[in-house]
Amino acid sequence: MAVGAEPGAETGAGMTLAQRALRSPTLRLAGRRLLAVIPVLWGVTFLTYVVMNLLPGDTAQVLLGANATPAQVHQLEVRLHLNEPFWVRYGGWLGATIHGNLGTSLASGENVTTILGQRLPVTAELLIYAFVGSIVLAVLLAVLAARRPNGIADRFSVVISMTGLSVAPYVLAVVLVYVFAVKLQWFPAIGYTSLTADPLENIRSLTLPAIAIGFPLFAVYTRLLRADIVEQMQREDYIVTARAKGVPSWQILIRHALPNSMFGLITLVALNLGALVGAVAIIEPIFSLPGVGAILISSITNHDVPIVEGVVLVFAVVVVLAGLAADLLYAVLDPRIRYERSAS
Amino acid sequence: MSAPLPDLLPAPDAASAVPVRTKARGQASPLRVWIPAGFLILLAAACFIWPQIYPVPKPVGGSILEAGLPPLSPGHILGTDPNGNDVLSRILYGGQVSFEVGFSVTAIGLVVGGLLGVAAGYWRGAADAAISRVLDVLIAFPALVLALVIAEGLGPSELHVIWALAIFSIPAFGRIARSGTLAIREQTYMLAARLSGSRGRHIILRHVIPNIMPQLMTFALLGFGIAIILEGALSFLGLGIPLPEPSWGSMIAQGQQVLSATPEQALIPSAFLFAAVVSLNVLGDALRERWGVR
Repeated sequence: MAVGAEPGAETGAGMTLAQRALRSPTLRLAGRRLLAVIPVLWGVTFLTYVVMNLLPGDTAQVLLGANATPAQVHQLEVRLHLNEPFWVRYGGWLGATIHGNLGTSLASGENVTTILGQRLPVTAELLIYAFVGSIVLAVLLAVLAARRPNGIADRFSVVISMTGLSVAPYVLAVVLVYVFAVKLQWFPAIGYTSLTADPLENIRSLTLPAIAIGFPLFAVYTRLLRADIVEQMQREDYIVTARAKGVPSWQILIRHALPNSMFGLITLVALNLGALVGAVAIIEPIFSLPGVGAILISSITNHDVPIVEGVVLVFAVVVVLAGLAADLLYAVLDPRIRYERSAS
Repeated sequence: MSAPLPDLLPAPDAASAVPVRTKARGQASPLRVWIPAGFLILLAAACFIWPQIYPVPKPVGGSILEAGLPPLSPGHILGTDPNGNDVLSRILYGGQVSFEVGFSVTAIGLVVGGLLGVAAGYWRGAADAAISRVLDVLIAFPALVLALVIAEGLGPSELHVIWALAIFSIPAFGRIARSGTLAIREQTYMLAARLSGSRGRHIILRHVIPNIMPQLMTFALLGFGIAIILEGALSFLGLGIPLPEPSWGSMIAQGQQVLSATPEQALIPSAFLFAAVVSLNVLGDALRERWGVR
């Protein structure tokens, strides 16, 4: 992982551009953040390793089942290096991981990188689907609701967001499967079709799980964004100025109030990503999706440390990168956050 | 893993450093408090008191001869599950589990996290740094993964579910208590209390805690709902309340297996879970408005 690399250095198109990139305050900010990420990633993986190793019960015994003889158990322990001390095992894992090798699954002996490579696209597609859908719909509903506080759209948004906040993802999944797969048969109840095999079928197979993950997010986002827009509209001087100039009210809402209200939403989206590993772990098995969430649960029960570490690490990297992207987006939305005026 | 905000944006603590009690914008109508509160009291009474005074069938050990009866069957108002257990009885006993876990997890978070947060926010310095770092790491860690690992490690039981979920109710309450304490720390009445010679413990008990209580209580209602959802999630995955003991989460998981034939097996516990959590959230919202908590 080229975590510490200065992003500007990769452009490599002539000295002037490289020099300019090095001096660019935004990129320097990005570089500093990327360096600060390393201890966080280390902390999360270390904590995972400790917690997984605190699990009672013998990993080799769990893998072989209750009928294994002590000799077999011992043989497997030696083969998987489970008999070595904690620090030796952790050091070995950390050293390999830094070189990009996440190790092999204790249960299947498969390469963890290969497993993640097969399963991550499914999860990534599901999460992107859920996220894009929830953010787009949340912005639409929040703007409609904030247009007239206490109007019909606003009341509707309150009811919808309260529902979304209160519904557990697995409850939503069960209701969705019952209504749309069993009764109406619009979508398949379980299974996954890959994007390359059949794009339309792929979208259909991911729609219900995406709603189950996305609807609670949509509710939180709508609630937050609506409150922020209403506050902007009531408190800020530039809104009054725009009104006095005769700018149409929808334009004030979309061009002025909305961009200035996005900060809370962006922060929340970046923070949320980490918690989503939990939602994915519950939703994917319900819909038999072959993603990383499904294997996470079985790996925890199997004490399959390398896979759990791999999944946790991937999500930690995503969360950290999302935090960085959020930082950069702030600067795009509010030029005052830049350290100096950019040339363009 | 919250990446720090850009330097020019105020830090989260500074952003919330406004007086905790702001003027209430709109008074919530009493109905918005009493309808959800009344429903919750009724539900809790049904779960805890009904089985004591009006005998219901046992939630476990049903006869396979009575398996899969539809709702409104004689003797089984909500029918029976595929193992022949009375669904209503399992709902009531499962509800006990939900309320017990939700209450314990919230109470542990409120007391332990609240005290840690107040101590960190009031005394600042090394204690604050140490407590905040620990809370940060716990918050950054994918919570459900941690809960799953702990629940798996300790083995399925109600007490272990409570321990596993408390791991992340404590940092959440801690953070809120800390930022609330920071916000009121600089208020004039705090200075007055210090100048008049009150000791730290006295100030915390008489001034800090009463002032951050509205914030903590509204969050407690939210946290109660989240704990109920997460207990259901652990049980749904088979890592929570061990079968055959009833829990709404495991009832939903069992019902999901027979969703096309007998959807009510999954939909009935789903409805109860949703109703309980939505009441907690509506109540929390109304109280937040009433107390003017931001």
